[in-house]
Amino acid sequence: MSASTLSHPASAPGGSSSLKLLLPLLRLLRGLAILVAVFALWEALVVVFAIRPYYLPRPSVIFAALWQTPAPYVQGFLRTLTETLIGFASGAAFGIGIGLVFFRLRALRELVFPLFIVSQTIPVIAFGALVVLWFGNTLFAKAAIAFYLTFFPVTVNTLLGLESVDPRQEALLRSFGASPRQLMMRLQFPTALPQIFVALRLASSLALVGAIVGEWFGDTVGLGVLLLQGMYTENVVSIWATLLVSAFLGTTFYAVVAGAERLFVFWGAEQ
Amino acid sequence: MSGSAPDTVIAAPRANSRTLQRGVLGIVLFILAWEGIARGFHLPAYTLPAVSDILASIWTKRQILLTAAGFTITEAVVGYVIGALIGVALAVVITLVPMTRAVLLPAATAINSVPVVAYSPLILLWFGIGMPSKFVMVALAVSFTVFLSTLAGFDRVDRRSVDLLRSFGAGRLAILWRLRLPTALPLMAAGLRVSTVRSIIVAIVTEMLGAYGGLGWVIYQAVLQIDFVQVWGAIFVASAASLAFFGLIGFAERRIIFWK
Repeated sequence: MSASTLSHPASAPGGSSSLKLLLPLLRLLRGLAILVAVFALWEALVVVFAIRPYYLPRPSVIFAALWQTPAPYVQGFLRTLTETLIGFASGAAFGIGIGLVFFRLRALRELVFPLFIVSQTIPVIAFGALVVLWFGNTLFAKAAIAFYLTFFPVTVNTLLGLESVDPRQEALLRSFGASPRQLMMRLQFPTALPQIFVALRLASSLALVGAIVGEWFGDTVGLGVLLLQGMYTENVVSIWATLLVSAFLGTTFYAVVAGAERLFVFWGAEQ
Repeated sequence: MSGSAPDTVIAAPRANSRTLQRGVLGIVLFILAWEGIARGFHLPAYTLPAVSDILASIWTKRQILLTAAGFTITEAVVGYVIGALIGVALAVVITLVPMTRAVLLPAATAINSVPVVAYSPLILLWFGIGMPSKFVMVALAVSFTVFLSTLAGFDRVDRRSVDLLRSFGAGRLAILWRLRLPTALPLMAAGLRVSTVRSIIVAIVTEMLGAYGGLGWVIYQAVLQIDFVQVWGAIFVASAASLAFFGLIGFAERRIIFWK
């Protein structure tokens, strides 16, 4: 018995780490298999029921379009990705910062928070016209819309997380003479982190929405522009190709944020 | 957009009188500051019109704005009801026939991996620029949120309570009606509440790409005519409509889920 308990700790780390590497790979493979199956089913349905391409083109046609003229899609992808990332990063930073400030200054929160809520009922796209006017037709105008959609959920969840700290734990740390700063770094912020990441995951999708909608105001490059052009020229294949590229962008970004969550919130308080 | 139930993001509306006073004070201060900046610096209307100018413009153009708001609210509410019904129905199907979960959940997630507004060009081509395309867009946006939150609610039920009811001979339907539904209601309501604002925004976004009327159409026309006071007026009206819709559903929620 003592031998087995001794040998166990030595063998465990190696086994678990190779398993840790294998598991995401298996999951990825399974996801790819499902994806292939879905496209096969889609292709079969369109062929069997003879659905007109105007309503639903065959996936093979869509991929062929992507393959033959990849340039606009690649450029659009990169452009929209940049806008999304800038908007997301600034929105997340601002959201967490404001959440911390609101947590400390209750009066300020009660003064400003209703405004934040009202600001979220403004239709983004209407805002888009104004933002483009203010910032000019630049990358930052689009990022500003992504920012605008991102910061609110992050603020709310930062606050919720910070307020969910157990007062007894706080009292314990205080009794050991912890400074407010230490209290924040050691207890409050780590406690809030799972909640913050819930909002960041949501914000990753919202930032993409902001970037795409922002591009509808007279831009020339981007996934949103491709969607509009597809609509005006009634090029359904191009619309679908853009939708697939957007889905790829959205899903990948979401997966990256979820991955960061597993890395930082390794104790897995949520889920 | 896959993953989390939306209830974690927008806290339930709760307010005591002091919070309310501060909130009102904050909004009043904000409006005063806006008015002061716009008037003090003589900002041109395309940068920032004064609040008083916007309100005056809303009053003089109230006929246009009211008609447009009626248009948009109709689209949002019809789409909202359709979407909510679809969302709840899907969650019920998955709960009653667990086999369908393996198909429906990935399918819903795949459809939702594309940002909803990105579908609007396609939906406009398919359904035309009349009201039906807006119904579809709003229903699409609402159904997924409601579906996820309802399913999360159904799944939250304590395993032992299910076993207990089953031992009394309750069928799946009885368990759903007597146990799962009451347990799920708070989460469902949160999903329904978040969807209100989204439904009006999605209706407006779709209108801007093509419509015969509505607030989005008014905004688009005003942008083309460089009439930015009118843009702000339509934004104010849209915002008020969203808040009213949100408040209405929040009120119904407090009435129906009295135990929360």
